Amino acid sequence: MKPAPFRYAAPDSLTAALELVADEDARPLAGGQSLVPLLNFRLARPGLLVDLNPVTELVGIEVREGTLCLGAMTRQAALLRSDVVAAGWPLLRDAVRHVGHAAIRNRGTVGGSVAHADPAAELPVALTALDARFRIRSVHGERVLSSDQLFCGALTTALQTGELLVEIEVPPVPAGARMAFAEHSRTHGDFASAGVAVVHAPGERAAVALLGAGPVPVRVPAAERALLGGAPAAEVAGLAAAGVEHDHRRAVIRTLIVRALERIQ
Amino acid sequence: MSGSGLIGAPLTRREDDRILRGETRYLDDITPSGALHAAFVRSPHAHAAITAVRVPADAAGVVAVLTAADLPAVAARYPVMEPRDSEVRAGEAHPVLAEGEVRYAGQPVAIVLAPSRALAEDGVELVDVEYEVREPVLAVRDSDLVMMGWSARRGDVAAAFAAAAHVVSGSYALPRLIAAPMEARGAIAEHDAAADVLTVWCSAQDTHRPLAQLAHILARPEHSVRVIVPDVGGAFGSKGVVAPEVAAVAAAALALGVPVKWTEDRLENLVGAYQGRGIEGDLELALDPEGRMLGLRARLWADLGGYLLTTTTVPPHTAGTLITGCYDIPAAEVQVRGVRTHRVPTGPYRGAGRPDAAYMIESLVDAAARATGIDRVTLRRRNLIRRFPYRTATGLEYDSGDFERCLDLALGLTGAPAGPRADTAGPAAGAVRGRGVAVFIERAGGAWETAEIALTPGGRFRVSSSSSPHGQGHDITFAQIAADRLRVPVDAVALRFGDSALTPAGVGTFGSRSVAQGGSAVALAADELVARARERVASLTGCDPAAVGHGAEGFSAGERTLSWAALAETVAEAAGAGGDPEPLEATARFQSANVFSSGAYVANVSIDGATGELSVERLAAVDDAGTVINPLLVHGQVLGGAVQALGECLTEEAIYDDAGQLRTGSFLDYSLLTAAEIPPIITGEVQTPSPLNPLGAKGAGEAGAVGTLAAVANAVTDALGGRVVAPPFTAEKLWRALGEGPAGSPPGPPVETTALPHTPSAATARRVRVLVRRGAPALALGLALGALAARGRR
Repeated sequence: MKPAPFRYAAPDSLTAALELVADEDARPLAGGQSLVPLLNFRLARPGLLVDLNPVTELVGIEVREGTLCLGAMTRQAALLRSDVVAAGWPLLRDAVRHVGHAAIRNRGTVGGSVAHADPAAELPVALTALDARFRIRSVHGERVLSSDQLFCGALTTALQTGELLVEIEVPPVPAGARMAFAEHSRTHGDFASAGVAVVHAPGERAAVALLGAGPVPVRVPAAERALLGGAPAAEVAGLAAAGVEHDHRRAVIRTLIVRALERIQ
Repeated sequence: MSGSGLIGAPLTRREDDRILRGETRYLDDITPSGALHAAFVRSPHAHAAITAVRVPADAAGVVAVLTAADLPAVAARYPVMEPRDSEVRAGEAHPVLAEGEVRYAGQPVAIVLAPSRALAEDGVELVDVEYEVREPVLAVRDSDLVMMGWSARRGDVAAAFAAAAHVVSGSYALPRLIAAPMEARGAIAEHDAAADVLTVWCSAQDTHRPLAQLAHILARPEHSVRVIVPDVGGAFGSKGVVAPEVAAVAAAALALGVPVKWTEDRLENLVGAYQGRGIEGDLELALDPEGRMLGLRARLWADLGGYLLTTTTVPPHTAGTLITGCYDIPAAEVQVRGVRTHRVPTGPYRGAGRPDAAYMIESLVDAAARATGIDRVTLRRRNLIRRFPYRTATGLEYDSGDFERCLDLALGLTGAPAGPRADTAGPAAGAVRGRGVAVFIERAGGAWETAEIALTPGGRFRVSSSSSPHGQGHDITFAQIAADRLRVPVDAVALRFGDSALTPAGVGTFGSRSVAQGGSAVALAADELVARARERVASLTGCDPAAVGHGAEGFSAGERTLSWAALAETVAEAAGAGGDPEPLEATARFQSANVFSSGAYVANVSIDGATGELSVERLAAVDDAGTVINPLLVHGQVLGGAVQALGECLTEEAIYDDAGQLRTGSFLDYSLLTAAEIPPIITGEVQTPSPLNPLGAKGAGEAGAVGTLAAVANAVTDALGGRVVAPPFTAEKLWRALGEGPAGSPPGPPVETTALPHTPSAATARRVRVLVRRGAPALALGLALGALAARGRR
């Protein structure tokens, strides 16, 4: 479990980092909680590892014009400690609580979790429920993607060679919106086999996003319409889980939706 | 004998401070200067012939690549134990490196040596091995190659079944489990050519078994091998046989004349360390109209893997001999077939056959209770063995026990019975509850140990034993035993373990035997030292030895009192005067037949009707380990064993695909419990001293692992209305079982029958997930080695 040989660079600015990741054989290293095991298994064999940890301009939680802006290198644990996250987007705090254990959250980054796009990861699902937008930059410029544009498949995103996810923008939710995250895993801190993120502002907005229903986070518009229309929890849950192929997972997701909705009634 | 109250004192371990401060010295903390590091070329296939191994002539950084043909020091395959009355095919012994064929994915084929582990792993990728892939045999009942066979028969079994009012049958299976100690295995070997002594530092359970195994494999006299066991981070049975990699490291050190080091990493440990359990059985029980057991038939199939390691034969034999459990069954016919499959070998894992037997017989007794309508506790009481010694139909002699007292105590500890089961199951249902009761017996102790004790300056004592610790707490336990006999403070006794050059010959640490055997040897050695000291005092004072008193102050002869410190001084003075002082030392060897620990466990569980998720709500664990030396350590052993068994109940299972590739090759997939999953465990104690040793001790190291599985399994079956599900009791399995309804009901429709449109994306996700997460380590191995294999095939 030693990685295959690679070159290593630790730039201290975003500009320098973007130049380095333009190399076709480069892989950015964020918190290392997924990439380092893959390196040690020799499943990932980059020629150049670009360590983003010294790039402090990618770290930070701030609110700009009502929008929550998360620097890509912000540690997952920072979401747990942030008052602005707790006040405006508590779903992120609830989701991050399910990510591994404290040591993992202390190293793991928000951007790393998104860019790795593990179908069992919590943050992409929570961000999808919150209509987050993903700011991506390269030496050639910048683009901003929505969740369904970014997540293409299991461990696959729309990020191209040379591009780095630099910031995640989470728009404001209507005043009085309630939100909850629930998941099913074999043990505490394990990856989830199923999970749900629910946002509800009665009469204004509803979002239902699923983990474990496909290779990417899945929004369920039919369930969202029912929730907005005041349907009972069991009906919303039935609609949310209807498209889940695996029967046991379908039953679990239905139960998780009911539990999440009970928490925000 | 006990004057100082140390027997039964809950003293804390003396090594804890050092461990908690990180001052331990594990194998990987040791690196002799000039050592080469080893990595292994491993088979990517479960079954194949090796047709060629091509080693690159100029691999950068690689010092040597050695295959079986390049290790002349290897004179033999593994020595193999032949349990009593068994038939063993010793020709199926594990080779050190593959000899022309491979029988499991992960089997070591060649050893690569380089100045660092990373360079050695780079070198592994450069070795081309050409394989001719063969079909693997994976199902035990498909294998026609019996590597270990054993059977027992007593009484007229046919007549018992013919006369029975009830015949109950059951089929049970336990998956393979991975011991997963925090510290994986490993060794450093260094050959002193001048003295011709091979020193092997090894992460092992003890010193003398590795020594004997290496001496056999390398055909060296035992005095020319020295085994040093540093601090060990757990074993749970998995370090009782040296790894084939360790033997290869030793042979490579002999071949190259430099020290060689191998520290097993987690990937290697998961694919290459011998596993536990992997057994299934068909059982039939004959009962009279009142529920008295008349006869038992049992056929067990054990998955031994591709080869026999030294103790691979032991767990299935133990399971077979213990299959009659705590019951007085006059007639029995038991057959065990340990078969070859194309998986890594199995071997002892905490319990090593005991949990297997307890799970099967206790599940069958619950089935009998359901079939006869007799209350399960009443049925047990009616059949418990009550007179000792008791000779079982399988040939064991139970020395002692009080099964009913254990049962009563355990029932009392779990409070009121669980509420009635919910009548309906399925997504809308709430929790269904169940309660499980199990009584069990375990073979402990047996064979021999020696101990040496010496009086040292200042009235202190040094005790040496080869019954050595890897987490159990031998140090304080043995110190308590010695100090109790010597009538000195426990701090006056220091223990020495872990170096075959410094400790007397012994057997080792396994099978819940350390106190009964090693501890008894310490007690006898201390008694002998007291006798010698008494004689010394007699000769110094001119007193009759019989008149010399021994107490907390030392020795008294008439008006004179001589402390142990004063006695030590007389030895030193005589030495200083050029006299010929006999040092005050003693050695004792203790041997006995097996002793039998027992217990009763009761578990309360609930199953979430909507998701199938199992919660163990309460576990009562009552153990009879005979006389307890240190209740704190027994309590810790019971909790540790119970927690490991809860893993077996809830999540743990080594899963292989149809090609014989391990699918649970990382801790992402092989799921170990966390503290969050552990229910309240209430322990209770019964002490029926064993008549077979001077301490009255039995064993506790495996107890928790034996009773918990049987009790939780019975609780799950109870919650499911009699439907038997094989462990681990995953949410999905239990959800399906709930959908099928209680046992005996026709296999009804599943909970949901709606056909849903196939979602290609979901299927793809699962496949990718399997690739990237589920099978990552096996795949890493497959990629790293399979790619090379493909290259080798042109």
